Amino acid sequence: MPDLNPTQYAVPLFVVAVLAEMIWAKLRAPQAYEPKDTLVSLSFGLGSTIAGALLGGFAVAVFLKAYEYRIFDFGPEWWAVWWAWPVCFVLDDLKYYWVHRAGHRIRWMWASHVNHHSSQHYNLSTALRQTWTGPLTFGFLFAVPLVLLGFHPAMIAICGGFNLIYQFWIHTEAIKRMPAWFEAVMNTPSHHRVHHATNPRYLDTNYAGVFIVWDKMFGTFTPEVDDEKIRYGIVKQLGSFNLLWAVFHEWIGILTDVWRAPWKHKLSYLLREPGWSHDGSRETSDMIRAKWQARSGGPVAPQATSVADRNAIAGGAEAA
Amino acid sequence: MSLPPLLVQSAGSLAAILALAALARWLKLGGHPGLSDEAMLRRAAEEIVDGFEVADFSLAADRTAALVRDPEGRIMLIRLHGSRHVGRIISPLASARAHGNILEVDCREPRFGVTRLELEDAEAWAAAINAVGRGRDA
Repeated sequence: MPDLNPTQYAVPLFVVAVLAEMIWAKLRAPQAYEPKDTLVSLSFGLGSTIAGALLGGFAVAVFLKAYEYRIFDFGPEWWAVWWAWPVCFVLDDLKYYWVHRAGHRIRWMWASHVNHHSSQHYNLSTALRQTWTGPLTFGFLFAVPLVLLGFHPAMIAICGGFNLIYQFWIHTEAIKRMPAWFEAVMNTPSHHRVHHATNPRYLDTNYAGVFIVWDKMFGTFTPEVDDEKIRYGIVKQLGSFNLLWAVFHEWIGILTDVWRAPWKHKLSYLLREPGWSHDGSRETSDMIRAKWQARSGGPVAPQATSVADRNAIAGGAEAA
Repeated sequence: MSLPPLLVQSAGSLAAILALAALARWLKLGGHPGLSDEAMLRRAAEEIVDGFEVADFSLAADRTAALVRDPEGRIMLIRLHGSRHVGRIISPLASARAHGNILEVDCREPRFGVTRLELEDAEAWAAAINAVGRGRDA
């Protein structure tokens, strides 16, 4: 059985790439980096690795148990079934799309994923701004169907590792557009800048990991507009470089809201979209976008919104 | 004695993190031009709350913070945060104290901190901020 953790081997590449982008920033865009923000983002990356090692055991146990009930069996040497690797990679990326979308539409999951979005900068260090609290959500359950199909948990983990490595390079402003054919199929810096934007037209779009085709298929794709400056971060920017506050602020917000809310609304603060409130005192991303459209006559929200409205986990969300 | 791989890996990563952060500092990356003029304030306010229209404003002497008001009377505090800016609509929880030209605004929000502004009309802004929400409660 292959014992491979691709992200572990990619760390030196990450360091060199961040270094190169810093030099680019020095020459072309010094404000693309902010030392304190960089320190927080990179610390997120380190903490995430440690948290994953310490807390990931439960997910592994669930996967190994589920694997016992697999529908198809690739045999004892499953890693030698060559075609299973690309199939697993594509299906894992489809899984990523949905877990990522849920991460923006369910506050419980957003509490963890918001960590990746809380920087007001968009550079390669932002890519390493990974959550510490992922194991506290149920995101790993989205992979169970792949396990039940017969893909070994190790194969899924390796494919997921390469997926994460792919997503590293798209966190940059140094690349404007890739060739048209590439932009059409793959997730790119341009598509992912949109995903990290808080501009109303961009909220909750472009959830793709590797293949942007999922957003086009499920109606959540929005192209980058050249004449509008992108603002990165979250709707309510943190205003603090405190690492622990950045890690836990949304969890604390949920606990506070659940504590204060009337009984019939408590669960909604956990399961409904970020920005939702029982008294209408806050704004979801759909509300922000609707106001912007009414004011500016902007284009109708991406098809995504209509699809999302029909979807059980949808409804609106805070920035992403 | 062999160290656990996770510990070795974490120590290496920590060293790389500190080196990169130090390099960013050494390269003098970041920095902010300051809230230079009314046009920039308008853009900043619009970025913080989409559609926020500035009807009235006061810019701190050092241009690191400002208070703006929209036609509906909502007050927004804007301040620099690294090489970006952040802001908050003043809520009934917020409070302000004026000492001569110095105004201290506390949004009463964890980790957002107290913002200090040197303004010519500090007293008037303090009164306006402390009055937020009073009409509603009356």
